[in-house]
Amino acid sequence: MTSKKIINNMADNIDPSLFDFAEYDESKSELTGYSNYSFWRSTVQVFMKNKVAVALLILIVTVVLFTLVQPYLPNQKSPTKIYLDPNTGLQYRNVQPNDEFIFGTNSIGQDLWARLWSGTRTSLYIGVAVGIFEAIVGITIGALWGYVRKLDAIITEIYNVWDNIPSTVVLIILTYIMKPSIPTIIFAMCMTGWLQMARFVRNLILIIRDREYNLASRCLGTPTGRIITKNLLPYLVSVIMLRMALAIPAAIGNEVFLSYIGMGLPVDIPSLGNLINEGRALMMDPSQRYQLFFPAAVISVVTISFYVIGNVFADSADPRNHV
Amino acid sequence: MNKEILLEVKNLKVEFGKSNKKFTAVNDVSFNIHKGETFGLVGESGSGKTTIGRAIIRINPAASGEIIYKGQTISGKIDKELDTELTRKIQMIFQDPMASLNERAKVDYIVSEGLYNLKNYGSEEDRKKKVEQALLDVGLLPEFASRFPHEFSGGQRQRIGIARVLVMEPELIIADEPISALDVSIRAQVINLLAELQKQKDLTYLFIAHDLSVVRFISDRIAVIYKGKIVELAETEKLFAHPLHPYTRSLLSAIPTPNPRVEKSKVIEIYQPDKEHYDYASNPPEWIEIEPGHFVLANEREFESYKKNFQS
Amino acid sequence: MINNEIVLSIEDLVIKFNLRGQELTAIRGASLTLYKGESLAIVGESGSGKSVFTKSFMGLLDANGRIESGSILYQGNDLAKYKTEDEWIKIRGKEIAMVFQDPMTSLNPLKKVGRQVQESIELHQNLKGEEAKKLAVEILNDVGISDPEIRYNQYPHEFSGGMRQRVVIAIAVACNPNILICDEPTTALDVTIQAQILQLLKNLQKKYRLTIIYITHDLGVVANVADRIAVMYAGDIIELGLSEEVFFDPKHPYTWALLSSLPQLGIKGEALYSIKGTPPNLFKEIKGDAFAPRNPHALKIDFEERPPYFEVSPTHKARTWLLDPRAPKVEPPLLIQKMKEMEVKRGEGIE
Repeated sequence: MTSKKIINNMADNIDPSLFDFAEYDESKSELTGYSNYSFWRSTVQVFMKNKVAVALLILIVTVVLFTLVQPYLPNQKSPTKIYLDPNTGLQYRNVQPNDEFIFGTNSIGQDLWARLWSGTRTSLYIGVAVGIFEAIVGITIGALWGYVRKLDAIITEIYNVWDNIPSTVVLIILTYIMKPSIPTIIFAMCMTGWLQMARFVRNLILIIRDREYNLASRCLGTPTGRIITKNLLPYLVSVIMLRMALAIPAAIGNEVFLSYIGMGLPVDIPSLGNLINEGRALMMDPSQRYQLFFPAAVISVVTISFYVIGNVFADSADPRNHV
Repeated sequence: MNKEILLEVKNLKVEFGKSNKKFTAVNDVSFNIHKGETFGLVGESGSGKTTIGRAIIRINPAASGEIIYKGQTISGKIDKELDTELTRKIQMIFQDPMASLNERAKVDYIVSEGLYNLKNYGSEEDRKKKVEQALLDVGLLPEFASRFPHEFSGGQRQRIGIARVLVMEPELIIADEPISALDVSIRAQVINLLAELQKQKDLTYLFIAHDLSVVRFISDRIAVIYKGKIVELAETEKLFAHPLHPYTRSLLSAIPTPNPRVEKSKVIEIYQPDKEHYDYASNPPEWIEIEPGHFVLANEREFESYKKNFQS
Repeated sequence: MINNEIVLSIEDLVIKFNLRGQELTAIRGASLTLYKGESLAIVGESGSGKSVFTKSFMGLLDANGRIESGSILYQGNDLAKYKTEDEWIKIRGKEIAMVFQDPMTSLNPLKKVGRQVQESIELHQNLKGEEAKKLAVEILNDVGISDPEIRYNQYPHEFSGGMRQRVVIAIAVACNPNILICDEPTTALDVTIQAQILQLLKNLQKKYRLTIIYITHDLGVVANVADRIAVMYAGDIIELGLSEEVFFDPKHPYTWALLSSLPQLGIKGEALYSIKGTPPNLFKEIKGDAFAPRNPHALKIDFEERPPYFEVSPTHKARTWLLDPRAPKVEPPLLIQKMKEMEVKRGEGIE
């Protein structure tokens, strides 16, 4: 029942010369045939397996491209021009979607289609700018905070103080002082946004800073800056990507909030924030709901897409998921 | 091997933690390492052996005591020039080959890291040559420089770790459990490599380990450490022939031997410090030389009984 | 000790894994018989497949692994055919229990130690509440934890490494299993504690009539505990025999190499014997003997045909063409002969 294959009858037709010694090549034994695993390739592969994320990625790329291309398409209207009815000479107020105005017009006669894409462009621009800035400042401060022990106490104090001030209050104060415009909004959001990223980065660095390979680098005399950039940050890629991806819908959300309390961008710069605000005002009238519907739809798509893409990418970049 | 002293450790004390909850990892440890020798430091987990190594290479600061390298004090605050020189002269090999290499960097960068730091090379050509030579010295192929650590086995990774140390041209290498995390058959490869390199490059090793069989094979002298204090120090064979301190004896009795008949009938001696050293409060122990080169931590009473053991 | 009752029988087991799009054959047709009451040591290095092999007896293979072919016969059932958790739940713990390597991560840090032992009892032994607690305290005592009633209420972080491993063993023993698999039970422990834990396992084996499988790469541990030894290389059992047969009369070149590279056999000032190279890539199909490229005694046929088992004695067999009657006579390396001589001398010295 066991496999004691005591072979007496096995292939007596084995060539007896096979029982001579084989040549022993030492150097051959050193070659290993290990898999040619590439971190980024595996990340992309795992990401591609998630169909929803891929679909949303295609969607969001299409949207972004469209916002860039839209002004150059034929028959596009200006987002700020007030359109007058040629017959009556009056403004085309609150016209529901029709052939001429695909998304209708708003309460002063501007084309919502043009405004929507212009607004999406603006909001995405703000979101990306904030995301990048938060990343740079957040990572720098977070890395120093986590790695350089002497700075830990000071930066923790600064963080605690800053964190305790409600971010909405900071946003309001800054936009009030500096008068609403795109740069001020970006600035204000960055002032509150870097905290989260810094904290994340700091916590992760605390975990890995004393791993043996970092001790080895210290023994070899590697300066702090290079330890942070070459030893630590590469491990934080997935977290950083996630936070950047989430920063964009967060920025748009903040912008909507500011518009709601009247601190948003002026009306002549369309943005998803003030579009939503205008639409909200007319929400109760069923015939005017389209003014809220279109910008809300765009915000939803953008937010959900970035959220899902960010999360799936972060999971894909985790080497433990590279099976 | 001459008797020139390369490293002196004097009354070293290393503490961890904040002021009222201090933990003394290394407690008044003294020993010398001679040029060209392999000095084995043996102890179990928590004994402080790794901390001693890290104090010498200045990762952990010394709370008190002195570490002197070739006549110069290297513990405490030192100037930048000395620091740079020490980075070159004293280096460390780490235990876990899976954790001691930067996964996201190529082997070329990993081995060159020290060179970049000290600008210890002429041109780019020169640097590449040094990396190649280091890889060859440890028995790896130069083409491995363009690969990543995860493509290699544990033994090969450990050899990459040794290559990055060699490229600095050090004098003293602290090997902190360099083979504990390796497979049995790979250990022999790495041990042979270390012995070979020692001969070729006139290196001195501080070999920290808990596996006495390996330490016996590779070390010239051995110090046994228990809870932050060195309890016995002697030349290897003298230590194995006449282990005096009860902790040393218990450690020796527990070494696994690859002989089933011996193992199955083995009797382990258990070290009970309270029973053995019941009178340390009234009669504290001292570091006594009981035969030339053989030291033991004992008070007078114990010293007397050890002397008797010797004679029998 | 060893009677001839067979408690587990594995035949030609093949286990494969899906890894990054490729297929890895971790176990390449391994067979093994386990007798009631014995201590069997499976010796191998990383990549030999020893952990995977035993995990398959309990359905603990990773999600990307599967048993491709072969059988695992236990009490008339073929465990290799089990697919669902319901089937495995009847086996795990109650029939086959496992002690893992790292006691730090094997225990739940948030539960009292006594509770963890008690849960094991309640699950597998039909006792509840106070009765279970009493038995838990008794088992804690059996594994050498002093003041078990007090320590019952403590948490894992209040125990030292060796103590934690005793707790892990207690939990395994509390299941009242037939077979206990110990996967590197002492590797993470100090040498003095290691000896104590091994003694503990031997005592428990007697008291609870356990059959124990030890998985390890430490030949000292093997010498201490094993009645029989199975040597694994690249997913195959290449030598199997009684402990003394494998130590003093090994037949497979890999076993020779393994024993030769021990530092205990080294002569100061000379190089230790070391096996060149690294284990083979299991993603590729292996032709012939897996150890051939690293084997200085390889025959040409080792690269062509996989060797079958050759019987050295009723209890000792090895998978190497060197045992074929047509093969040239090869003496074991000097170090192995030296080991045997040393043992003979020692034996005479005792007498």
